[in-house]
Order: sequence, then C-alpha cells, then structure tokens
Amino acid sequence: MGKTKKVIVVSSAFLLSAGIENLALELSGMLVDHVYIGSEKNLCEKIISKKPEYVVIDPESINDGLLPLLRKLNQEKQIKIIGLISSNSKNNIISLFRHTLNIQHTKYKLVETLKKIIGKEDKVNNQDEKLLSKRETEILRNLALGLTNQEIADKLFLSIHTVMTHRKKITRKLAIKTVSGLTVYALMNKLVDMREVERSE
Amino acid sequence: MLLEKDMKLADVINHDYNLVPVISRFGIMLGFGDSSIENICTKNEINVDFFLTILNSFHDPQYLDKNYLQNFPATLLIDYLQNAHSYYLQIKIPEIEFLIDEMAFKHEVDDTSHGLLQKFFEEYKAEFSKHIEREEKRVYPYIKDLETSLNNNNISHELLARIKEYSITSYQAEHENVEEKLMDLKNIIIKYLPSSQKQQTRYKLLKELLALEADLHDHARMEDLILVPKVEVLEKEITLKATINNNH
Repeated sequence: MGKTKKVIVVSSAFLLSAGIENLALELSGMLVDHVYIGSEKNLCEKIISKKPEYVVIDPESINDGLLPLLRKLNQEKQIKIIGLISSNSKNNIISLFRHTLNIQHTKYKLVETLKKIIGKEDKVNNQDEKLLSKRETEILRNLALGLTNQEIADKLFLSIHTVMTHRKKITRKLAIKTVSGLTVYALMNKLVDMREVERSE
Repeated sequence: MLLEKDMKLADVINHDYNLVPVISRFGIMLGFGDSSIENICTKNEINVDFFLTILNSFHDPQYLDKNYLQNFPATLLIDYLQNAHSYYLQIKIPEIEFLIDEMAFKHEVDDTSHGLLQKFFEEYKAEFSKHIEREEKRVYPYIKDLETSLNNNNISHELLARIKEYSITSYQAEHENVEEKLMDLKNIIIKYLPSSQKQQTRYKLLKELLALEADLHDHARMEDLILVPKVEVLEKEITLKATINNNH
C-alpha cells in the first residue's frame, strides 16, 4: 500500500458522509480523516490545518459561505476539491467544481469516477516522499537548535518564505508539526547533538 | 446503535468499552449489576437525558446534535467538562508519565530517548494544564455569570462591559494547538522512537495516547460545537435585554 491519502468531508447529511467514508474504503490508502458539518467557525482554516489531499464538499450543507470557502481552498495546490452533486443540482453549483461525484450514481460508477479523480497526480509525489533533502535536513537541524525562521533565513542566505516552504515540507514528510516534536526527531536521529541543543538553550 | 434509557448500562459498556471513562466522569462506578441506564441515573442524581446525549455523542460522533444539547443549561455542561478535565489531569496524564518511565525501567528504550520523551511530555503537560486552567478560571465563570444574570434578570454594567471586551470565539483556536503536540508524540512513538526487542510497554503507551487523543478530540468538539454557540446566544440575549431595559 502506498501513502495514505487524507480525505475531509464537509456535510451535515449523515447518509452522505457515511457513504463517502464507505466509498473511500474501496480505494486502498484513502481514508476519511474528519467530517465537518459545515457550520463550524473558521472551517477553512480547520480543513487546511489537517493537510488533506481531498476535500469532499456537499454544497447543500454550506449556506452562504460556499464561494469564499472554495476560493480559499483553491489556493491550496495540494488539495483536490470534489463536489457532491445530484442530477437535480443547478448548473451554477456544478460549475463551481472541477471534480464531482453524483450522489445518485451506483457504487461501481462512483468508484470509477473517484479512481479517475485521484489517478493523475498519484505518481508525481510518490518518490521524493519520506526522505528529507539536504536543505531540509539543514533547516531541521537549525530548528532543533532553537533558531527562528528569520534566523535560519539569515544564516543560510534564504528568504523567510523559502524557509517556511521547507518547514511545511518537513512537517508533511515527518508528520510532526511542533518545534519540540521536530527537535525530538532530530535528536533521536542524531541530526543534532544533545550538547549542542543544551548549549543553545 | 442509538443508546436509550431502558437499556442495561452493562450491555452498553460491553458494546462500547470506550464509554467507561465517560460514565466514570459522571461518578458512576462499575459494579452496577443489571440496572437500566435510567435507574442508575436516578440513583446517582444524574440528569438522564443529558447523560444519554453525552453518552451517544461519544459512542457515535455523528450523533452529536447541537440543537438538542443546547437546550441543557450551560452549567450542566460545564460541570461535565470540568469533571473531564480532572480525569485528564489526575488520571490520564500521570498514567502516560508512568508508562514513559516504565519503558526505560524495563529497558525498552535507551536513556537518551527516554529523556527526550519525558521532556517533550513535560512540555505538553504544562501547555495542557495552562489551557485547562484558563478555561476553568476565566471562560467557565464568565459563562456561569451570563446564565445566572439572565435567569435572575439582573444585568450589571460590569457584565455588559465584559461581553464587549471578551469574545468567546477567540478560544476555539487554542484547542488545535493542544492537539498538535499530542499527535506529534503519537507519530514519534509509531515511527521514530528507535526500535527494540521488547515493546510491551510501548504498545500500552501508544494505546493510552490514542485513547486520550480521541477523548480530547470529542471533548474539544463538544466545547466548540455546543458551548461556544450557546454562549453566543446568551451574550446576544443579554445585550438585547439590556437595551430593552434601558429604553423603559
């Protein structure tokens, strides 16, 4: 089995969200991580912080915030948005989504559609996953030594933006988010020495 | 499965073992024989509808019905949340600390890794306690004041000022932060803690962490989806009432 693909569902309709969970199980590696009912505060930020590969949205469960939500989510390049539509959905709703699943379709047809949606970019990411690049290791070392993003940028002659991008990649590869967690990783893998860390504290 | 009052609590626990910590938070002790949920609640002076709603929302997260739960007084929910807090701080956290030390004691991890885990968890504990303290010392008393003043129809200027200055929505973001550290620890144990021949304690630790993570997740959900909207309603009602009172 390859890397797990995280799916977030936004729907207040239980039958729909349960159906999506069931459907995801059909494809190895796809996992519904979280179901939001659609009326949560800061929904978009919450979704993004979970770092999903796919967000399945039931437009019916979001009243007036659908457009802003889609606009913000569209800026996240790694996220594919899939709209839940039916044969009765209005065209202006359907056209909001590049990918759609029709809730009236049979399981077989849905699985086929879903395969097509996830199929394309599947191969691109697979190889460079897991192992940290030289640059990333260097940045991780400095993080563990207690340097801030700005300090790292100055030290390595990078822009702060580049440092942040590297940090995001590190977190994605290691599945560790906090600086303390990254420090533990760096020490356990002997990327830095305990004495170095203590000295810097 | 929807849990109902006439079911035997013993059957319910057999069906879903994860509910044990939830019933213990209501002060229900094991050894209740074949009594129904309703009888046990009466005996322990617990609001049975509230108990069932909480039980159902933990048993099946999809069940959580905010419209229904918002009918209960905020104080009932706060009492429950506070019990849950002491369960985390006084039982769960020490258990995890014990297991981290036990791994070193049984030579399942080297001293360096043990030290790292210990320090990391120490930090987590400090953050977590601080978060809980803030809820109990500031957020909950504020909510209780809102409810009392609305019930007694006694709205002070001071309270109105607090509503203006304090926004309940600001406190949701904190939950995510507390959850992140725990998730990191879980991933470190699964993926990065150097492997060893014996791992019995490591399994136990992982199980505890997973259970705590799931429990905290439901807990935060309850606060964000029920308590926060409830407070927003209270704030609105009070502000409205104050305006009407002023006009008379």
